[in-house]
Amino acid sequence: MVVGDVTTSTDVLVIGAGPGGYVAAIRAAQLDLDITLVEKGAYGGACLNRGCIPSKALLNGSELASEAGQAEELGIYADPTVALDEMMSWKDGIVDQLTSGIEQLCTAAGVNLLKGTAEFAAENKIRIVHQGEGQGSESLKFDHCVIATGSRPIEIPGFDFDDERIVSSDGALNFETVPDELVIVGAGYIGMELATVYSRLGSDVSVIETLEQALPGYQEDIASIVRQRAARLGVDFHFGYTADSWAESDGKAVLTAVPADEAAHDSDIELTADRILVAVGRRPVTDTLGIEAAGIETDAQGFIPTDSRCRTNKEHIFAVGDVAGEPMLAHKGSKEGEVAAEVIAGEPAAVDYRALPAAVFTDPEIGTVGLTEDEAANEGITPVTGEFQFQVSGRALTANRTEGFVRIVAAKETERVMGAQIVGPEASELIAEIAAMIEMGAKLQDIGSTVHTHPTLSEAVMEAAQNARGKAIHRQN
Amino acid sequence: MVREFELPDVGEGVAEGELLRWRVAPGDSVSEDQPVAEVETDKAVVDVPSPVDGVVEELRAAEGETVPVGDVIIVFRVEGEAEPDGTETPADDATADSGYQTDDEAPTQPVEDTQSEPAVTQRVQVAAPPSVRRLARELGVDISSIADSSPGRITESDVRAYANTDSHSSTQAQSNQRTAAAERQKQQATSTQSVSPVQARKTADRETTVAVPKTRHVAAEEGVDLDNVPTDERKDGEPFVTLEAVREYAKAQQQAQKKDQEAVAERAAADEPARPESRTPYNGIRQTIGAAMTESKYTAPHVTHQDEVDVTALVDARSTLKQAAEEHDIRLTYMPFVMKACAAALQENPQVNASLDEANEEIVEKEYYNIGVATATDAGLLVPVVEHVDAKGLLEVASETNEKTQRARERSLSPEEMRGGTFTISNIGGIGGEYGTPIINQPESAILALGEIKKKPRVVEADGEETIEPRHVMTLSLSFDHRVLDGADAARFTNSIQKYLRNPNLLLLE
Repeated sequence: MVVGDVTTSTDVLVIGAGPGGYVAAIRAAQLDLDITLVEKGAYGGACLNRGCIPSKALLNGSELASEAGQAEELGIYADPTVALDEMMSWKDGIVDQLTSGIEQLCTAAGVNLLKGTAEFAAENKIRIVHQGEGQGSESLKFDHCVIATGSRPIEIPGFDFDDERIVSSDGALNFETVPDELVIVGAGYIGMELATVYSRLGSDVSVIETLEQALPGYQEDIASIVRQRAARLGVDFHFGYTADSWAESDGKAVLTAVPADEAAHDSDIELTADRILVAVGRRPVTDTLGIEAAGIETDAQGFIPTDSRCRTNKEHIFAVGDVAGEPMLAHKGSKEGEVAAEVIAGEPAAVDYRALPAAVFTDPEIGTVGLTEDEAANEGITPVTGEFQFQVSGRALTANRTEGFVRIVAAKETERVMGAQIVGPEASELIAEIAAMIEMGAKLQDIGSTVHTHPTLSEAVMEAAQNARGKAIHRQN
Repeated sequence: MVREFELPDVGEGVAEGELLRWRVAPGDSVSEDQPVAEVETDKAVVDVPSPVDGVVEELRAAEGETVPVGDVIIVFRVEGEAEPDGTETPADDATADSGYQTDDEAPTQPVEDTQSEPAVTQRVQVAAPPSVRRLARELGVDISSIADSSPGRITESDVRAYANTDSHSSTQAQSNQRTAAAERQKQQATSTQSVSPVQARKTADRETTVAVPKTRHVAAEEGVDLDNVPTDERKDGEPFVTLEAVREYAKAQQQAQKKDQEAVAERAAADEPARPESRTPYNGIRQTIGAAMTESKYTAPHVTHQDEVDVTALVDARSTLKQAAEEHDIRLTYMPFVMKACAAALQENPQVNASLDEANEEIVEKEYYNIGVATATDAGLLVPVVEHVDAKGLLEVASETNEKTQRARERSLSPEEMRGGTFTISNIGGIGGEYGTPIINQPESAILALGEIKKKPRVVEADGEETIEPRHVMTLSLSFDHRVLDGADAARFTNSIQKYLRNPNLLLLE
């Protein structure tokens, strides 16, 4: 390891090896650019290490346990015992496999990998401090830079993360034992997914949410299906309350929540907990980057504004993924990473997706893409919608998962597909078809006339499209 | 101030014109009466003058487009007056800087643009698959402007077609993009020079080679056989080739290949002298003639009936009358005689003075006799029409024909004066030649080509005695549309012409 400060140079420097950064690096390498990727932690970013992947592993594991224990209706009598430490090791194995896979992909593509924390020294120069005492630092000159530093969980006053009582999603994905009582602050998708995991594993889960709805930002009829199912799993919801403070008492944490709106609730509530998960959102990582030295501007929330080619206010510096703004989705970051690399290589790339699919892996799942009925109307498009309930889907019945529906939104005049909202089994997979259709500029009939496999859940997509045209077979139109 | 300019009526009663060529581009300064465009109507090409002093803001019509009279073809910004809000000049920095615009966002104004309402509306309303949108960016085409003209789903061919008509944008895109790529190529070119061709020819030609997948991938891409890459390294006892070795070998190969190509090209250049050629654009009248001829030749089944006629009497008559005509300042050629003969013959054979109305499935016989005279001009063939030849005297026909052919050569004929013919005569004989196979001037049904009048030995029968005498002979080549006429009709019609030309006195009876 080099001690002291030496300066080398690279065509393209990528900061952060998450889904935005590593994709940018590999694509840049494919385009024959000399590329250096700096990462201070594990490859794969929050998505692989502290987000999408570990949470999905735990959701699947907990679902298996929970379903097996509740299948008397099917003639299955079981009482599964979950060894959480073993489930965690299984999850960690998946994470390891994926992160080392990414490292290998980068190496094979010809990406130079550097371990360390990056900090801008000037517009074209960055200092990389190596991990560990006395490991020194080096400076790197670059022609182009891609900032892909991602985001981290937001802390709220009075609830500093201590990895004991107060944890972020990072901590909640690494519990050694199932907490008897878990209080989750925030009913957004992270809070709801982890509420699903731990209620299935047997925790008494309470969720505090300032607003009056679970999954704010999603349509009420969708969010309520998820909320009702969570309630059936035993999750207690406290809407309209804000977490205020907590204290130790009798070997438990006691959290005090105050009414967000005093007109709606007249008194505080107290909730006891072994663990308190604060999941109120994520904020961009721009504070440790020294971006002032490079003259890069950020907005009020700390995001780096970019144009459709992922360029910041500095022509040669790009930003992709969470750090470049909402929505914070891994696939959005990856798309931007590709675009940034191609733009640097001189290709006419641009972020021009028509619709960005998103999924929430609650029980049941939610998949959305494009516009809702109201959003379409706000854009001056007269919408028409079609729906199909999973209740009448043969496949949903055989899977014993019949909550939810598929809703497709189209422009009434042109019948062009504008968006879809799915809540129900495999919603995260089903949404992909509609995303492709929107990108292709498809009309309702294009979906409706495409033969869908029977018996599958995807038939519900076809029927919803037909319903919008008054032509569904398995429901009244 | 912005001034929109509509296509004026450039001919009498012309409804539309083809925009042949722009003489100005957006951003050019123009002065009043300066020609801005060439517009062709039928066979006349007209310069359209600028109505103002100003700067060209926008061209609304593409070259080759047919524009109805009254449509705005060009927009000027009048100098010295304030530019209205929101009007961007074509040379606007944002566009010039990025080289192209994506379909929904202007790159240099990130935040506002990604979030502005109109951008979003456009995003959802332009229906084109991602591959097509990418193609549009590659060709420098603003996809939303295609959407304006075709509201359905935009395809790859729509984008390509638009890029071809919109050549301005594509050149701009090409010139502005690929900076990094170009630099890279330049660097590669420099670095390859250090590899000597000898080294490049050196191949290893092994039976097996070990390499990592990335190396194999690159080798496949570069078309390199790994067994040919020289190496001293070994792995697991087998020859091992690194990525660098493959790249170096590929570069060397390319260099060698390039040298070979250059050498071949040099030799080829030395062996074969350069062929002197010149190229002129195929457009305007030349292109119009081409289109009309192709249309006629491939639509009407042409048959050419050929015969000759003894015009000794006509030659005598013309030399006698020539003097008299000169007193009226009229130059008398053979053409007016032939025109009068044709008019008389058409009256006798009305089926020839006809055209086929395919749309209505009818043959239209015309009771007027307007004869076109094919005239060679510097720009190509033009056909002025002399109307009602049957009703006009010989001198009047002569005078009008002379005047119109002269104006055709000067290109000052109006489109109206080239319309409405019922039959055409082409005098190739004026230049030389005997027979031809002329192409019918649609929608007419026949055309007559005249050969040169030559003295030839011909058998003359007089008082029961046959002698061979030098006679003036003219050849006739009549092409007719076999859809409308049959061979017998053509022969009869030719006989009629012959009758009048053999004995021009008969024309006095007309």
